Amino acid sequence: MSQPLLEVRNLRTYLQSGGREVRAVDDVSFCIPKGETFCLVGESGSGKSVSALSVICLLPQGIASHPGGEILFNGRDLLKLDDPGIRAIRGSQIAMIFQEPMTSLNPVMTIGEQITEALYTHHPDMSESEAQQRTIMALEQVQMPHASGRFHDYPHQLSGGQRQRVMIAMALACEPQLLIADEPTTALDVTVQAEILRLMRKLQDDTGMSMLFITHDFGVVAQMAQWVGVMQQGKLVESGSCADVLHNPQHAYTRQLLAALPENLVKPVGVRQLSENVAVGQTKNQTPLLQIRDLKVWFPIKKGLLRRTVDYVRAVDDVSLDILPGQIVALVGESGCGKTTLGRAVLQLEPPTSGSIQLQGQELIGLSARTLRPLRRKMQIAFQDPQSSLNPRLLVETTLTEPMKVHGIGANHDERIELASQLLESVQLDRDFLWRYPHEFSGGQRQRIGLARALALNPEFIVCDEITSALDVSVQAEILQLLLTIRQQRNLTLLFITHNIGVVEYLSDQTVVMYQGKIVERGATAQVCGHPQHPYTQKLLAAVPKLLV
Amino acid sequence: MIKPLISRESYAARVWRKTLDGVGVKVGLAWIALLVFAAVFAPFLANSMPLLMSKDGVISAPVLQYLSVEDAWVLATFFVALMVYRLQLGAGKRVLLFLLGAFVAAVLVNWVVKPPVLVIYDDFRTTAYTQVDWRIMPPIPYAPTDYLRDLVSKGLEAPLVTVGHTHLMGTEESGADVLSRMIHACRISLSIGLIASGIALFIGVIVGGLMGYFSGIVDMLGMRLVEIFEDIPTLFLLLTFVAFFGRSLYMMMVIIGITGWSGYARYVRQEFLKLRKQDYVQAAVASGLPLSSILFRHMLPNGIAPLLVAVSFGVAGAILSEATLSFLGLGVVDAPSWGQMLDQAVKSSTFNWWMAVFPGGAIFMTVFAYNLIGEAFRDAIDPKLASKAGHS
Repeated sequence: MSQPLLEVRNLRTYLQSGGREVRAVDDVSFCIPKGETFCLVGESGSGKSVSALSVICLLPQGIASHPGGEILFNGRDLLKLDDPGIRAIRGSQIAMIFQEPMTSLNPVMTIGEQITEALYTHHPDMSESEAQQRTIMALEQVQMPHASGRFHDYPHQLSGGQRQRVMIAMALACEPQLLIADEPTTALDVTVQAEILRLMRKLQDDTGMSMLFITHDFGVVAQMAQWVGVMQQGKLVESGSCADVLHNPQHAYTRQLLAALPENLVKPVGVRQLSENVAVGQTKNQTPLLQIRDLKVWFPIKKGLLRRTVDYVRAVDDVSLDILPGQIVALVGESGCGKTTLGRAVLQLEPPTSGSIQLQGQELIGLSARTLRPLRRKMQIAFQDPQSSLNPRLLVETTLTEPMKVHGIGANHDERIELASQLLESVQLDRDFLWRYPHEFSGGQRQRIGLARALALNPEFIVCDEITSALDVSVQAEILQLLLTIRQQRNLTLLFITHNIGVVEYLSDQTVVMYQGKIVERGATAQVCGHPQHPYTQKLLAAVPKLLV
Repeated sequence: MIKPLISRESYAARVWRKTLDGVGVKVGLAWIALLVFAAVFAPFLANSMPLLMSKDGVISAPVLQYLSVEDAWVLATFFVALMVYRLQLGAGKRVLLFLLGAFVAAVLVNWVVKPPVLVIYDDFRTTAYTQVDWRIMPPIPYAPTDYLRDLVSKGLEAPLVTVGHTHLMGTEESGADVLSRMIHACRISLSIGLIASGIALFIGVIVGGLMGYFSGIVDMLGMRLVEIFEDIPTLFLLLTFVAFFGRSLYMMMVIIGITGWSGYARYVRQEFLKLRKQDYVQAAVASGLPLSSILFRHMLPNGIAPLLVAVSFGVAGAILSEATLSFLGLGVVDAPSWGQMLDQAVKSSTFNWWMAVFPGGAIFMTVFAYNLIGEAFRDAIDPKLASKAGHS
């Protein structure tokens, strides 16, 4: 290794939290050579973001302390610099981009103003025309379409990917030597992610900057990094060159993480058999459990004084779909393609504009709430966000037993409590968890409780709306295996909505690809993922960063 | 071992237990309890007539003889409330039973209680009532409307200046005892605050909840209704009604109630608009739960925090509205109220501190107490806060 640009030695960062001291970063050392990329990878709470924020000294001073270690940037220890010294380096020599492109830009300033402001801060004597020119150059550099015309655009006029490009342009405007990227593509769709990653690699080649890249996605690591560090609970458990760590992992934790990736996950015994059977037994004469015909869900766009409907957002447009009993159907697509709306429309949570949905031959559309209630028992939903999927004010017990009571399951309260604790056991949780509130659980536990709630009415059909998207890979792996086991025990039919191709391949029998409100491709999972026919499916599959061990 | 015991209690019981957990709320509740006690037992606490006396071997209770219909009804309702509270029934049934009990009490009391039409307090200081074997007087031996004419009271006496008859809080301009009036005024202040806010809250939560949950056309019509009610100036409406229909406390309560709900409806609506798309609400809909459960169990407790703050101010506002009316000299004529006493304090040509401090302090304490309770309740329904407090 030549002279490293950044060298972190035995860094410790402790955070004060309500009288307790959390060792967020504990004795971490790594170095980043000039022009190369170091990836910090780990699950949520492992301390990877705190490490990055320590490097750029952005942690709140009252809360964070650095009891040990040094951060050498070009041979200077950043931890020993005073505030003006740090400010001179921050932005001009070390720049940072964040995960959330929605919130990291100021919504009331045009993107041009925001980039020029960054320029003026570090070059106070730059003339206005020069700053403007540099800004447009920066926007061109990040391959912003029609860069010169975009100067006066506001952030809300841009898509998520374009906003992230603006963020990168802003970070690169002052030509930093080190770019810290904290999960820059996590909030983006895979195809956009692929573009942004390609752009970042190109910019690195052009400018020769180094990157500290933080991610939880091993697929992204494989594409970006020369060097990798794996973090677990504040400690760097393994680091080395990318090829070494990914293909010859030494530490048990790294191996565990790699094995938990959906593309490497082993199915529970006996389940593979079943799903193959289903795939084979997919005969024509089997009546579908759920039959969707020409379903449209249009949201009106209203404008003007009289709120006239000027146009519609065609969230779901002419979708027809059959789901056979016992199948897991994966609904894949990028954000905004209408897959969640479709899932909710099936459950009558979103009123469809037209079309027909039949559950076991019974038409659902147009039923009153009263006539729909007995049918609700047969179909349930599990949600994506573990934060909002459970009522924070209710005990788990109430959440589970209330639907049972309404539908007359269980003779009395004690019997329902018994049923509820059995449900918790079936999702591999403790019986005593009944008497706790949702905030006492981790994200994975909450998703299990969410599943238990969906199972409470003993349904035949469950819509799983991105239920693993907010989870760490190892937790995701557990939930996926659990789902397969439960499906086998109860002979459930699942509509699994996801954007993660790896999960689709692991879990589903059938795959349906949605694009702009329409189904563009459908078929057996192996066929769709192996030999995609539609150009969009091909593009989608090509964009997925995969890592096979 | 304690776990099942705690967890089997209902949601309402748990919230109630947690609400009581804290010093501030206990102070607030103690003050309200004191007011309730004073309001219910006012005729026995401050009255010119003996509670019990024996004359020529005959034992009589003039207070009971002179008990007005209203006094008797308040007492009866209080005991009905106590009994209902003791019963092992669901909350809804209890409320119904209480309302029924209060109604029956009203009918019975109107039928049974026939107080003398004319009360001359000065009579109680004649020999007929003083030359007795023994008698028990109330702690404050002055009725609120006893102007002490026979004692040649000048009125507006500072506390504890006159020897002979002690006025702990002095006298007002007509010579009546301030403390006695303070005690009897509890009734108006408590009831106007609670009933007016209760009416407003009831309408506000239901209208706002439906607007927020259904949105769309319901929301649009509801918001127009809210705007209409927001445009009604409560005070001027009250003044108009007083001018046309005379002065009535109940009319005031209803008017303050039905003009005051729009703010609550707005709060509930905007919280519900946020909450209706929350996954747990969607899950409740998907489970086929009835609308009442979705609205009041899954949505309302999660959106109630801003409402509670508003309500505690609303109760205070209603008390102040009544005080304002009385202050303008348009309140209830004969019955004492805190606002009317403040009015006297201001109108007087000299500064009589006792006329300002005591009723003002009482209004302040009541408003403060409601705020304390509202805050404790808000914290109690938030399990996150509760567990944090438990740890530290």
